[in-house]
Amino acid sequence: MRQVLLLVAGLLAATQAAALDVVATSPSMGALVRAVAGDRADVTVLAGPERDLHAMQVKPSMIRAMRGADLVVAIGAELEIGWLPAVSASAANPRILPGQPGYFEAAAQVPLLEAGGAADRGRGDVHPVGNPHVDMDPVRMATVAGALADRLALLDAGGASAYRANAAAFRDAVEAKLEGWQSRVASAAGVVLYHRDAIYLLERLGVPLLGTIEPIPGVPPTGSQLKTLAGKLAGKRGVIIYAPYQSPKGPKKLADDLGWPVEQLPLSPPSGADGNGYLSHIDRWVAAVATGS
Amino acid sequence: MHNSSLRGAICGVLATPLLAAPGSAAAGNDDIDELRRMLERMKTQYEEQIDALEARLAAAEREASDSARRSEAAAERAEQAARQAAAESRPMTAPTVIPATASGTAGGTASGRGGAFGAVTSGTAFNPQISAILDGNYYHDDLGGEGSTLVGEAFQPGLNRLHDHDHGHAEAGGDDHGHSHGAADNGFNFREAELTFSATVDPYFDAALYLSVDGEGSVELEEAYFQTRALPYGLRVKGGKFLSDFGYANRQHPHQWDFVDQNLPYLNLLGVHGLQDVGLQLTWLPELPVYTLLGVEALQGDQEIFGATLGGDDQADLGLDDTDDGPRLFTAFAKVAPEIGDNHALQIGVSYAHATQQQLVQEHTHAHAHDDHDDHDDDHGHDDDHGHDDDHHQEPDIHRAGLDGDAGLWGLDLVYKYDGGGAYGKGDFKLQTEYLRSTKDMTIRSSAHPEQIGSGRKFVTDGLYAQALYGFAPKWKAGLRYDVLGLTNEIEGRDDFGSSDRWTVDVTWSLSEFSQLRAQYARSDILVAENDREQFDAFYLQFLMSLGSHGAHAF
Repeated sequence: MRQVLLLVAGLLAATQAAALDVVATSPSMGALVRAVAGDRADVTVLAGPERDLHAMQVKPSMIRAMRGADLVVAIGAELEIGWLPAVSASAANPRILPGQPGYFEAAAQVPLLEAGGAADRGRGDVHPVGNPHVDMDPVRMATVAGALADRLALLDAGGASAYRANAAAFRDAVEAKLEGWQSRVASAAGVVLYHRDAIYLLERLGVPLLGTIEPIPGVPPTGSQLKTLAGKLAGKRGVIIYAPYQSPKGPKKLADDLGWPVEQLPLSPPSGADGNGYLSHIDRWVAAVATGS
Repeated sequence: MHNSSLRGAICGVLATPLLAAPGSAAAGNDDIDELRRMLERMKTQYEEQIDALEARLAAAEREASDSARRSEAAAERAEQAARQAAAESRPMTAPTVIPATASGTAGGTASGRGGAFGAVTSGTAFNPQISAILDGNYYHDDLGGEGSTLVGEAFQPGLNRLHDHDHGHAEAGGDDHGHSHGAADNGFNFREAELTFSATVDPYFDAALYLSVDGEGSVELEEAYFQTRALPYGLRVKGGKFLSDFGYANRQHPHQWDFVDQNLPYLNLLGVHGLQDVGLQLTWLPELPVYTLLGVEALQGDQEIFGATLGGDDQADLGLDDTDDGPRLFTAFAKVAPEIGDNHALQIGVSYAHATQQQLVQEHTHAHAHDDHDDHDDDHGHDDDHGHDDDHHQEPDIHRAGLDGDAGLWGLDLVYKYDGGGAYGKGDFKLQTEYLRSTKDMTIRSSAHPEQIGSGRKFVTDGLYAQALYGFAPKWKAGLRYDVLGLTNEIEGRDDFGSSDRWTVDVTWSLSEFSQLRAQYARSDILVAENDREQFDAFYLQFLMSLGSHGAHAF
């Protein structure tokens, strides 16, 4: 009996001492996990920063990564809907299914923009639950960090105070930078995006979105649509920013027509980034937005 | 790793009744003390957590009022900017600021959307998730539309061979009355509307239902199965009617194919539906550094080709046994996916299927008043009326032979995908290839030639396809496929009949994630009967429309 108890206690101790196995869908969520969990988590990031999370396809390596995971951290709100449900169902790991403590979705922790739109695909690949790209708003990410700390504490009570302290530190770091970011773009005239993916950041910075290269989500522009957009923006100032997986043709053409700066920026920091890496990623975006003045 | 956690679980189970019975003689004083200490420790831990939460709540409340003040400034600026932009381009404006920092709001919204553990999804509003896929085409071949049937009836000796006076080719499947699933006429065809319902049943099961409605409106149950969610150790059980995980292409529904039609090996060795049957599946995904999936299935065995049995009348006529009780079809498969870099994916699979009962009927004709033919062979005795005088030409005798036995099927598959990272699939590449080999080990049970009764016949037919897809422009894919049936196509030790093959090219335009248009051209060389080939060109224009909830496809 004593041996049995000791064995059980030993196993409990062993599971608590081992780092949590966390799978993040995107580098931004990976960075947040590293910011909050530090050394207490081993993080696997499924998609590189240059990948379109919405267009990814299931790979066996994703299933393998999620097989033994303690926690899956997604951006959510159907951004990963083309592959994540199939991966988590195939992973034969009941702990990380939606509804379990091992499933964490950033979008479920904060209010979403553009929620409640018409469920009409005539308007493209719309998401009536709201725009999923919450990871582009550092303030929302700070809120998410708090929720993530609670979740990690639930899975690993031993690290609770560390998680909460780290989340608070991340929140403080964001707050410390927020005013600097906002003043840096004080004279920014506006931004044209390819897709409505960085609107959370623009909203936070108070910089208007002047237009999108794609006329409706998920549908590339025709030449005449680009011309119309150019006509509407003629004589104004601004900057065009697009992601690595978006076609550079439209953005470059529009930039030529308008004489605006154009920049390609990923929506996520590098795969190995931590909290500071995430903040530098926002720095890069702020700098790019500021060029449109 | 597994052993230790297994042992842990077993110990836990064993320990439970002991813990629940403090008076148990087995529990000594030391153990009780140890239990008390554990309880104490847990108590303190929880108290600490509650304290921490309370402190956090208080801090958050303070924070909220601070940050509300801070975000007011930003909000003002945003509103100003919004007003400016609104004057000219209202619909493009970034929406007005919603303060996100108040922690109270976060909790409120999260619970309104299924709780903090949940996924934010529009799908939960519909339970089950429903989608429909519409699949139609324009088809033309230079055989007046017969080509789309012929590709599924390539000659192989191990099929039911029923003599057909009007046409030289053998008919595949004894109970196949020109069932047109997948076959097309020249002109417009509506292949199917596939309706899909899927949901999580409860914490223990997921379930899915796939119905296919063809152009005439007849409904067919494609899949209806449950699958477990909560089994430990990487185990999952699936039950009901489902597409077997044998091979790679087998579990794909037609709308997932990269070409309009199925490849020759699947079409001819498994039939238009593939291995689609009623039964149970057990899979195991061990926790290994390399993705490895192992599985076995027990299936009823109601198949069109592989493991097919005859109807009751034929069985009686031919002196064959009744169809055995199920399950009569068993499969085992293993899939391994070595890690070969972030942008690449490779999966290799090996599968085996065994049908415990296979029955065949084979017919051949003799002119009535024929003289001795000692050399004739009931497996391909079609040429008996050579050189007969015209006045001998009377009603032919149809001789039927009944065979039974068992059947085996090997499958090897390899799939490689490269993620090009370009816009809308530009630069993506996919290579998919499979080899199938079917062996039917049969014994002649009845024949017009009594000396042959009891002798064995082993039918072997194999097939291969290889196809490559490349995203040559955003939203555009081009495909090339070569498929062949009957690299080996023989009655072992007796006859070899030669192969059928086909080259196919296609171009697919995905206007959005939800619609696809496809053009496909194929050059087929099909062995339709012994020494009888048809070469023909076939052309398809296909549309695929996806309605309803956003699906996710497996690898």
